[in-house]
Amino acid sequence: MVNQDKVLEIMVKIGEKIEEDKLFLTELDNVIGDGDHGINMARGFGDFISKVPDLQGKDIGAILKAAGMSLTMKVGGASGPLYGTAYLQAGKTAGDKTEIGIEDFIQILEAAIEGVKMRGKAVTGEKTMLDAMVPALDAIKEEYDASKDAKKALEAGLAAAKEGVEYTKTIIATKGRASYLGERSIGHQDPGATSFTEMLQVICENV
Amino acid sequence: MKEFTYTIKDEVGLHARPANVVSKEARKYNSKIVVSFNGKTAELRKLMQVMSLGARCGDEIKIVIEGEDEDKAFEELVPFLEENL
Amino acid sequence: MVGFVIVSHSEKLAEGVTDLTKMMAEDVPIAAAGGLPEGGFGTSFERIFDAVNSVYSDDGVIILMDMGSAVMTAEMVIEAMDGMKVVMADCPLVEGAVTATCDADSGMSLEEIMEDLSEVASQKKF
Repeated sequence: MVNQDKVLEIMVKIGEKIEEDKLFLTELDNVIGDGDHGINMARGFGDFISKVPDLQGKDIGAILKAAGMSLTMKVGGASGPLYGTAYLQAGKTAGDKTEIGIEDFIQILEAAIEGVKMRGKAVTGEKTMLDAMVPALDAIKEEYDASKDAKKALEAGLAAAKEGVEYTKTIIATKGRASYLGERSIGHQDPGATSFTEMLQVICENV
Repeated sequence: MKEFTYTIKDEVGLHARPANVVSKEARKYNSKIVVSFNGKTAELRKLMQVMSLGARCGDEIKIVIEGEDEDKAFEELVPFLEENL
Repeated sequence: MVGFVIVSHSEKLAEGVTDLTKMMAEDVPIAAAGGLPEGGFGTSFERIFDAVNSVYSDDGVIILMDMGSAVMTAEMVIEAMDGMKVVMADCPLVEGAVTATCDADSGMSLEEIMEDLSEVASQKKF
């Protein structure tokens, strides 16, 4: 189980990780998108981190919603409304909880995925963040059902997300700016799938 | 149904500004007002359709008015075009 | 009168489209929401939100936008304006903006203008 302080700490670490990797993510996006993913996401998380003092002691729903609002308001590219909706839906699902376990996390991730699908009118196989998110969720559920071990489940999810990123290299983008490239998008990994995998990695390392 | 032809006198023809003036006038009536030129037709109240006709100064356009207020539209539209197009 | 917001990744493009509509419908409330507040290309939730409020009346507001994240960001603004009459139109930006503002200028309602805009995409230019 993790409590609200831990969730806030993890969210800050996610923000720091995105900031650290912003040039790498932007470079990935330069190749197949409009080259702003890392910088945009870092701006969004930077805004979130500036609000952390007000979030001390708040419930987990409020923390995740605050991240969703920062990403929605400050990102500016497609990842703003997509990750913004994901975190807002995640926050709605977490509600006034002050402690969550792996089963709550599964529900939260499910809600985030539904949010991305709804906002982006997207499904898996289109070279988007969903190609990391959906396999990660499936693997977490499967491993947890089998072993009832939360840590193992998260690790299985992270491995599946990484495979998902590799998978995005093999397919043609049909959503977003990358779809203008058609077949030329093959061979390049999706920046959104990559940033999601980084978030999951931070979660995995800190629980 | 009322029908008449009109020869455009405005120097720039049925382009943006004059097209807008006539389209706006056409929206005052409930009748369907169709303007045709060079094998193409447009509803007079729809600006983009009217502009796409490409009718210029000196071109003859045909206008057909059909609907409950067609008499009123016909009586008012002819002098309106004389004045504005 | 119905108001309008022009959303674009480019601040100049949004302002340009807004200016163009003034040529034929100068009295129609319209606001540009282009680019990011800190400069650069992108669509800003805050700019769109503020622009909608600046032209809002009970007759409603129609948002017209360019592509991609402009659509998603506009959608989120509409969701945030719960209970207000704000819609977005799926049509070519320039033609749609000119058509819609001229329609509003003749006193057409939001619903009538939206119906007109649904035809703009299929309208050939010549």
